[in-house]
Amino acid sequence: MIAMMLQYFENIVSGLEAKIKENPDGTNARKKYTLETVRLGQRLYSGTDKVAWCGVTVPYDVLAAMGVTSCFTEFIGATLANSGLVGSYLEESEHAGQAAETCGYHRAVIGAAMKGMMPTPEFMIASTCPCSGGVAVMENLARMMDRDLFVLHIPQEENEHSVRFLAGQLKEMTAFVSAHTGEALDEDKLREAMQYSNQTRDLLVEVYDLAKKVPSPANGRLMGNFGIVAALFLGTRAGVDVVQAYRDEFKETVERGASGVPDERLRLMWIQNRIQFKNPLVDMLEKEYKASIVIDELNDIEWGPINLDDPFTSLARRAISVSLNGSVSRRVNHLQELARDYKIDGAVNPCHWGCRQGTGSRGLVQAGLGEIGVPVANLEVDCVDSRNFAEGQLRTRLEAFVEMLETRASPLRQSA
Amino acid sequence: MYYLGVDLGSLSCDAVLIDENESILASSVVLTGARNREAIAGATADVLSAAGIDEKDVAATVSTGYGRDRVERRTAAVTEITCHARGVTALLKGTQVLIDIGGQDSKAVKLDGAGQVTDFAMNDKCAAGTGRFLEAMARALEVDISELSDLDKGASGDLTISSMCTVFAESEVVSLIAEGVEVNEIVSALNRAIATRIVALVKRISPSINGNSVAMSGGVAHNAGVIRALSAAMQTDVTVPPQPDTVGALGAALIAKERSRQG
Repeated sequence: MIAMMLQYFENIVSGLEAKIKENPDGTNARKKYTLETVRLGQRLYSGTDKVAWCGVTVPYDVLAAMGVTSCFTEFIGATLANSGLVGSYLEESEHAGQAAETCGYHRAVIGAAMKGMMPTPEFMIASTCPCSGGVAVMENLARMMDRDLFVLHIPQEENEHSVRFLAGQLKEMTAFVSAHTGEALDEDKLREAMQYSNQTRDLLVEVYDLAKKVPSPANGRLMGNFGIVAALFLGTRAGVDVVQAYRDEFKETVERGASGVPDERLRLMWIQNRIQFKNPLVDMLEKEYKASIVIDELNDIEWGPINLDDPFTSLARRAISVSLNGSVSRRVNHLQELARDYKIDGAVNPCHWGCRQGTGSRGLVQAGLGEIGVPVANLEVDCVDSRNFAEGQLRTRLEAFVEMLETRASPLRQSA
Repeated sequence: MYYLGVDLGSLSCDAVLIDENESILASSVVLTGARNREAIAGATADVLSAAGIDEKDVAATVSTGYGRDRVERRTAAVTEITCHARGVTALLKGTQVLIDIGGQDSKAVKLDGAGQVTDFAMNDKCAAGTGRFLEAMARALEVDISELSDLDKGASGDLTISSMCTVFAESEVVSLIAEGVEVNEIVSALNRAIATRIVALVKRISPSINGNSVAMSGGVAHNAGVIRALSAAMQTDVTVPPQPDTVGALGAALIAKERSRQG
């Protein structure tokens, strides 16, 4: 199984490298992004790297500086969904008693581990944000794989105490990592990683600023999973290169007077998770309605540059700053801000099945965006489990939503 | 010139033909069955024949319903939410909330004064409370579905159906019949169960329904008992336009005319 996954990643890597070689002068932003993502998969399954399975809000740049190849476990769920193979892994976990109403990412990961599809890591690091389900999965995996687990308790509000609390944990985390790798944290390597993270951050800010243009150089394909996966490249030269390619491509598109969706008519915000398996919905929005997803909730930079002389305090602030990790009111404020900044006509919330912390707030999110005149289409879809995908129902809802948007003038555009 | 609207749903295929003055020349409702192409052809032929119109004189056709992409002669496909809103506004000006219960879908649509959709909510995953649900219940009660309309009369309203799943509710109804529970009590309970589900959808788009002008479309609008239950649950009147099952097709025909003008 491990060998099969490694081969899968290797095949994609060689295909992408060849395609990029065919167009060496092009920015190839999405290809470069995909290539780095798949190279990460290759390293995770190589059997030669020191691997850590992690939660979503873990500082991947610190782990990179310590020579560890790390990734959030949900990556495997998304990869399996994207490949069309997720069904049997979901069944494996459900047959073992995992409730089918729980998050598909986590069910897929548990199933993958049960079928020997997850490489055994050196150790694991969980994060209490964005969800407790993620921590439960890590605890489960740690027991299955007989590996030590470190849990980062991420506060929901930023203040002097919470930042100090988390900064202290991050330092303990590095001691935990050192104890398992046999290598101490190298301050020079950490500094270099933080410099790369800052460079990546600055480029991401440029990318997102460019995406705000009307029309936007962004589109659904380019921005799908971008922010959440880019976090995995922080602290590395590759991360800088990928985001720079995006910046350059967006800049070139804007200078040409073009847009990510030709003749863009409607601007959409996508809330929380993308649907990870292949489906026609985004294409349908773009081709039939010229509706562009110009911003995702998870594609944003809410953190300031890392202070190279006090990185752990900055890293703590970074983790706490993610609005999805905080209170619903903070999350709604953030979504309102994004809607205004990107001049959104409407928002789509897939309401990922089984995501309690995400969908529990959907009514408040809808009300909050409604206050500023942005309608929300709440869908009912499992972003990982393609077995339950009701394409006809979802198409009807999205199409009716867009038909509704076409008849109204967005107050956010009028205030431009 | 003439304009055709075709609404291909799970249970029925409806067609409406209008003229330049937006007068309804003919309408048709046929069962969709397993061969929807035949249903589309049948409904279309019915209205053309009834109006004495040749197919080539139809300037534009808009299709709607789940099967909207299967109507080959369509000029455009528009969702049933938009079409029902357009259609009901033509028949009942000033409608603010539309409830549509079809074969497998139920929806609550909020309208502005001009018939434009401002919000909507639909059932998800489950067809409980829709036409299919009532078909199953009629089968369990061993009556024709058209008889359900008045079978609740005289009921005390004390009985509750605990299952909303169509399959389990059917079993529950069979058990209640075996226990000797009166049919009117069972039908009243079913109507109130449907109303509860629909009111939940309505409240999502219009939290304070009182004082709103509420209309109903779709095949289930022929069921006076469901309408009574809805009115009671929302404490507001529910108006049903003539030929409620063709409201979507009428809206589609009107949109066909508008789009034909826009070119």
